[in-house]
Amino acid sequence: MINLIVITLLLMILQPEKDPYSEQRLNMVQQQIERRGIKDKATLESMKKVKRHLFVPEGFEDYAYRDSPLAIGYGQTISQPYIVAYMTEIIKPKPSYKVLEIGTGSGYQAAVLAEIVDSMFTIEIIKDLGMAATDRLQKLRYHNVFVKIADGYYGWEEHAPFDAIVVTAASEFIPPPLIKQLKNGGKMIIPIGSPFMVQNLTLIQKKGENITTSSVMPVRFVPFTRKN
Amino acid sequence: MQRRIHYSIALLSVSIIAFQIALIQILSILQWYHFAYMAISIALLGFGASGTFLALFKEKLINISDHILPILMITSSISMALVVRISQIDLIKFDTYLLFSESSQIWKLLLTYILFIIPFFLSALAIGIIYVKFSESISILYFFSLVGSGVGGILIIGLMWIFFPSEIPTFIAIIPFISGLLLIQKKNWIVAIPFIFVALVILLFSLNYPQKLLPSQFKSFSKTMNLPEAKVIEEKNSPYGFVQLVNSPALRFAPGLSLKYTDTLHSVSAIFNNGDWYGPVLNPNSSNQFRFMDFTTQALPYYAWENESALILQSGTNYRAYYSVLKGIKDVTAVEPNHTVVPLIENLIQNTVNLESCYGNVTVINQSTRTFLQSNTVNYDLITFATIGSFGGSSGLYALQEEYDITKEAFFDAWNILNDDGLLSLTCWMDYPPRKPLKVLATLVEMMEESGIDNPSKHICAIRSWSTITFVVKKSKLIPKESTLIRNFCNDLSFDIVLLPDLENSERNKYNILHDENFFQYIDKILSKDREIFYQNYTFNIKPAEDNRPYFSQFLKFSHLKSLKDNFNLQAIPYFELGYIIVILTFLQIVIAALILIILPLFKLGWKGEKKSWTVLYFMGIGLGYMFVEIVFVHRFILYLGNPIYSATVVISAMLISSGIGSYYSDRINYVKKNIKHIFTLIIALLILYPFFLSPLLDLTISYSEPLKFSLSFLIIAPLSFFMGIPFPSGIKYLSRTQTKNIPWAIGINGCFSVFGTVLATIISAELGFTWVIVLAAFAYCISLLTEIVHRLS
Repeated sequence: MINLIVITLLLMILQPEKDPYSEQRLNMVQQQIERRGIKDKATLESMKKVKRHLFVPEGFEDYAYRDSPLAIGYGQTISQPYIVAYMTEIIKPKPSYKVLEIGTGSGYQAAVLAEIVDSMFTIEIIKDLGMAATDRLQKLRYHNVFVKIADGYYGWEEHAPFDAIVVTAASEFIPPPLIKQLKNGGKMIIPIGSPFMVQNLTLIQKKGENITTSSVMPVRFVPFTRKN
Repeated sequence: MQRRIHYSIALLSVSIIAFQIALIQILSILQWYHFAYMAISIALLGFGASGTFLALFKEKLINISDHILPILMITSSISMALVVRISQIDLIKFDTYLLFSESSQIWKLLLTYILFIIPFFLSALAIGIIYVKFSESISILYFFSLVGSGVGGILIIGLMWIFFPSEIPTFIAIIPFISGLLLIQKKNWIVAIPFIFVALVILLFSLNYPQKLLPSQFKSFSKTMNLPEAKVIEEKNSPYGFVQLVNSPALRFAPGLSLKYTDTLHSVSAIFNNGDWYGPVLNPNSSNQFRFMDFTTQALPYYAWENESALILQSGTNYRAYYSVLKGIKDVTAVEPNHTVVPLIENLIQNTVNLESCYGNVTVINQSTRTFLQSNTVNYDLITFATIGSFGGSSGLYALQEEYDITKEAFFDAWNILNDDGLLSLTCWMDYPPRKPLKVLATLVEMMEESGIDNPSKHICAIRSWSTITFVVKKSKLIPKESTLIRNFCNDLSFDIVLLPDLENSERNKYNILHDENFFQYIDKILSKDREIFYQNYTFNIKPAEDNRPYFSQFLKFSHLKSLKDNFNLQAIPYFELGYIIVILTFLQIVIAALILIILPLFKLGWKGEKKSWTVLYFMGIGLGYMFVEIVFVHRFILYLGNPIYSATVVISAMLISSGIGSYYSDRINYVKKNIKHIFTLIIALLILYPFFLSPLLDLTISYSEPLKFSLSFLIIAPLSFFMGIPFPSGIKYLSRTQTKNIPWAIGINGCFSVFGTVLATIISAELGFTWVIVLAAFAYCISLLTEIVHRLS
């Protein structure tokens, strides 16, 4: 009898904590991400796995899986889930990749990429945001994510070159040091838009001395004029 | 006592208008321009609400008026000193950007409204009680009230030059405190003492510890202050805005920089105006700081042409002017309307360099762009405009901001002072879906066609980086040698050519690839004969802005909302045109609030009875008409006087003072139906005439000196306003003789429709233009006139 009680108790203790948002997360991936054309399996799996509600400000957990960005303070946002997935897919991350992120914010994009790539380096210029993200990522045991509180302009030279660079804190110019730190054949992605609406993304590809940019659209605009 | 009441009502009116204009500036700093107007409109509902309150509790309030009048004024003083401070508390602090993403913001917005209504409600209630109690002297009282309001508009301009925005409300709050003291009678001192004590404590505290203004976290100033070691070096307030000079080692500037640039980008200082980015401060002593400019699309006119003289419009922090000198242009004129920015930069720069010796050939002129363009007689080789838009867009926050510097008429004025082979250069941030570059091109093309250019495409070139597009328009046709230089420039810096006379399609999307190539089709359509059809069919409004409708950044078409919803999700729509959407929401809120405030007194006054419909229609017509005229004048005189605060002040003061004199005069004409009918006919006739002579008169005199323009503005506005000041006191006087109990209700109706008119006029201006608003103002006065005629016949 005692054994039975002990076993039952142990089972209760060892049983993983039930995630109240797992259904919402699955729904988010199916309805907001897959349906809009994201096909990369690694990206989809990662989006299913990372608990977005742990990356939003306290009290906003119930909004975490909505199809929209959320403010995280200091004029920054955690991007709309679809945009995070789009930015992840477009750099075609591989398990061997070393990725640099400029603008850690809440740490959500870093966590999504960390599920796929070998090592994830992320830089945040706002001290409070950087410290909170470090703390959060440590607690969630993302040991392959390295956070630095610094000016993202200079990149992270000690760990360069990077297979991909994700600039989530967009600026009106692309810092030359980042181009230098991008591996030959590497990709850099920059979202462009106001805080609550990413309208397009700039993809930079480096092939030797040849650097090209392309403007890719997460949402295609189909105006009436096409009919004419 | 009578005299004290006159002084008291005048002082109270001084404070209301001064406080209202101070709030416009404060809310522009904390939020954005449109929110300031929204809050003010809602706050002015305080007038309507006070009328309703007075209608419901008239007898009680009149009975205790000796006690309550000074207390209302003193509490109004307390609330003026406190509301801005309280609005900054986290529980209430509202953010425009979050309105459509956090439901709690709706409650915060509601609390903000209630908060800002308080001082207006208290003051208006005091004025309303005085009007009702002394309704036989309404003409004199209205005269003192309107003249006081006019003086309030002038006073605030002075205060803005002397004090910081956070300090101004407290100084204004002293005024209603004095007006309250004036009305305390001997028998009431004991009741008033606790209020006086509290007011003194709050005023002294607020004077010593002014509330720090914390702009929205999404404003560029707030974002810059998040950078490491960011600090405000200097700040200065003026009617041109609250200017702050900020420095941080992480602050850099290089809009749309070519990826071929491999050097260091140096940190810069920057200027912010009312919390918005105004420009970088580059040190002309260090040519290194300007090197990046050679790698931007803006450098094209300096690379492909040799220019002797340049005119830099909206020169801001003058970096484009210094760059022009650096590129060898001998004669550079920079035109900047903001009087506080230039001295601030020169002080900073002169600490490190002798500006005279390095850049002696830059002439800085403190004038608005349009004033300069219309008064200037010199021709230039190159004229450059400030960059349009901002990186990533601004969610349409500036949709209802008048931008007279980028209307078709502004381009026309610039074109007229170009030398024969001169160039206009204009850079714009790329956006998606495309809007701004298309509207710029449409404006340039229409301007050229109207200037007699047969084939504008032979004169225009446009080049594109990954984020900016620069248009260069030549007065004569582009020649092959220039095309070669443009191609070399683009090839060297990996820019794409969008427009050039001998352009091949393969050149358009070579380095910075646009996956949605429709952009090029749109560009071609604007240059084709199908332009008008394209304007009609395109999802966004890309028709050129004109002086009659100077809202360049207004792109939303209500008829195409479904198309937007289909392309993007419903939640994204507000962020296309946040400014306009919020004004529409404000309008709907006002309609609901106004209906409630107008209907509520009827439960007490009764639904039927004599003069109910007369009261509604008469006071609705004059309330709407007056505000339509005021709003059009405020918008139209921005172009003339070159600054929104000057325009608001001159127009409001001129209108109110003239109307006050009109009210004083109305005492003489008495309320004779025939007389008032003539007055209405005169107002309607003047309103019909105004559109014909206003613009030509303003254009003719725009180059005059500021004091002369202020005087002329007064002379233009005064005649109409004089007559427009007569119907309100005449109507009240008529009620005082026939239906006294309807007076507070009438005041409320007038207040509600005044607010309604303010927002409606803004929407009609954006959709149809100012001329239509004037026509509708005449129509509103027609309603009052017809009401009079029907009333007379019945």
